[in-house]
Amino acid sequence: MNIIENAIARGAENLNEYESKRFLATYGIPITREAIARSEEEVAAKASEIGYPVVLKGSDEALRHKTDLNLIALNLKDEKSARRAYHQLVSRSKAKLKEVLVQEMIEELRELMVGLYRDPQFGPCVMFGLGGIFTEIVEDIVFRVAPLTRKDAMEMLAEIKGEKILESFRGNPPIDRDKMTDILLALSQIGKEQPAIREIDVNPIKLVNGKPVAVDALVIFSSDPL
Amino acid sequence: MNDVNLENLFNPQSIAMIGASANPRKWGFIILLNILKGNFKGNVYPVNPHQKSILGYRCYASVSDIPAALDMAIITTPAKAVPALIDECGRKGIRFVVVISSDFSETGPEGARLEQEVIDCARRNGIRFAGPNSMGIFSARSGLHAQMPPVMPLIGGVSMFSQSGNLGFQMLGWGAEEGVGFSKFVSSGNEGDLSSVDYLRYFADDQDTRVILGYLEGVDDGAELIHTAKAISKHKPIIILKGGRTASGGRAAASHTGAMAGASKIWKAALRQAGMIEVSTSQGLLDCAKAFANYPLPQGNRVGIITRGGGWGVITVDGCEENRLVVPPLPQKVIHKLDKILPKYWSRGNPVDLVATIAKDPYIKCLEILAAWDGVDAILALGAKRGMDSYPYSEEVNKPKPLVDAITLATEMIQQYAQQPDPVLMHLGQLVKRYHKPIIAVSLASQLSHRSFLEAFQVVSYPTPERAVRVLSHMADYTRFLNSSSE
Repeated sequence: MNIIENAIARGAENLNEYESKRFLATYGIPITREAIARSEEEVAAKASEIGYPVVLKGSDEALRHKTDLNLIALNLKDEKSARRAYHQLVSRSKAKLKEVLVQEMIEELRELMVGLYRDPQFGPCVMFGLGGIFTEIVEDIVFRVAPLTRKDAMEMLAEIKGEKILESFRGNPPIDRDKMTDILLALSQIGKEQPAIREIDVNPIKLVNGKPVAVDALVIFSSDPL
Repeated sequence: MNDVNLENLFNPQSIAMIGASANPRKWGFIILLNILKGNFKGNVYPVNPHQKSILGYRCYASVSDIPAALDMAIITTPAKAVPALIDECGRKGIRFVVVISSDFSETGPEGARLEQEVIDCARRNGIRFAGPNSMGIFSARSGLHAQMPPVMPLIGGVSMFSQSGNLGFQMLGWGAEEGVGFSKFVSSGNEGDLSSVDYLRYFADDQDTRVILGYLEGVDDGAELIHTAKAISKHKPIIILKGGRTASGGRAAASHTGAMAGASKIWKAALRQAGMIEVSTSQGLLDCAKAFANYPLPQGNRVGIITRGGGWGVITVDGCEENRLVVPPLPQKVIHKLDKILPKYWSRGNPVDLVATIAKDPYIKCLEILAAWDGVDAILALGAKRGMDSYPYSEEVNKPKPLVDAITLATEMIQQYAQQPDPVLMHLGQLVKRYHKPIIAVSLASQLSHRSFLEAFQVVSYPTPERAVRVLSHMADYTRFLNSSSE
């Protein structure tokens, strides 16, 4: 069962997106509905199971930042466009793409991010902030040193400059702050329980009726296991 | 690390000064001089095998020759001699040492090896030591000034540990000018043995210490710092200046989270989680020390402002709102009371603008009304002490006589006024005690005058509204921490 041990045993430096999210789900973090597909036919089958519109992503642990590599096809509304997107992704990838991730499409403008980092002095630290592709440009983020209390986690939500994004926005409901702090507390717990994990990005987290869902994630191992 | 009682380090009855020197250019001379001039209450025994006496005190060839029990030793010799001297101290039964000597881990791997040797020697001998590379130690109770810079601190309730000796002693020096009195100080040096966290624990239990200051660049065990400080913050404020905020993270990061995890963000989080008050300048450290040591905490973050003139009030409101403080509007009952004192055209708002009224009476009355109002937790009193200490225009002989006379008169009036006991400040100090609210004064007066306001009237004052606002916002943040940690 153990996703982490298996990956380390095969010499991986990180979990791919699919595995990362499966791992996060074991700590109760809500993730997108998704499946791995290895052929055009599988893409069509999984997509209809999940329900259109879907997203297709190149899935490989070597691919850490898929957007930069242009290996994402968003908002595929039907089977025909899903099949076409599959072929485009395969032809775009330089290393032969073995599998793709078929994922539910969450239509939500607001993107948040959480993360885990091991500080040399303070140990595991949990991050919360604005997510999406501009994360590092805007850098509207806050940290807390693990273990977090629920009060710490609640404070983090209130501490970012863009806190208003958590309120109701363009007809969408406000974020469920309890659910969001659950995620931060889960990361705190991972930081304390999983010394083999060095860093985690969960970016973006999107909102479905105000409930946060991890749309993309990356779990990175320590090169020198503690 | 085990809990250790540092009482004999800070308040020893007897000290060996190992490396004492007759050469006024050596630290072994300067530190000995500072101890002797600082009226140390215990006994000092200079140790130097090549001297018979130094500064009129008999000199001993080694600590073992000293015919008395010793609580503490100070070592200023070259680094290489230190391990053997620690062994000797151990044989003499000394339990605490301050290692002033440098050329240890701060200089590279070879120094680090020597430092480890010192640590091993100390462990074997059951010795705890400050430094190496320390600039010294100060304690008011024992009159101990075992320090390199000849600073004579004011005595008070603030204790400080500092990973920079320079910065620490500057605090003691500036503190003396601004009225911030110290109980204890230690320059922790390389922290080969005793660490900032050890000093923090000692200050937490020390009856003479009301406020703890710290200058930190790094700690070995961040979790221990948070854990320790969180417990202490609940009963004593800890104010921290973190140096090296702009340094990037410890290692290359593979994630976005890691790339954004700068030292400053993690430290900021850690300090906040532990209820420590983080300031960003050395001036801020001293400003906070002054208010936390002398004033009650505000119960919340609502501020009443009284001002002599509009602009001063405007920038103070801006400062409050940018620093998590609230400036609530005046309720009718307060307006009615103020109506009886102020001219008809007053603005009827908070800040209460005295509209360039010169008389002292309305200021005192308005201040009292604000202090009594239960809608505010603190007050900023701008211009509580009016004007400056001296008249800036000099007499000129070639001008018409009436002008020369006027300048002479103005100069006299201002000097006279500056020398008078100030009724506003006297009243302000009393209001703080009566209403248990911090009333921070802002005045153009000189630094020395600010110290005298504190000493004469127990009034905490600053020369600019920005500094006053920052201090008040730190106090309100600390109150919030105390309230939330008692939930």
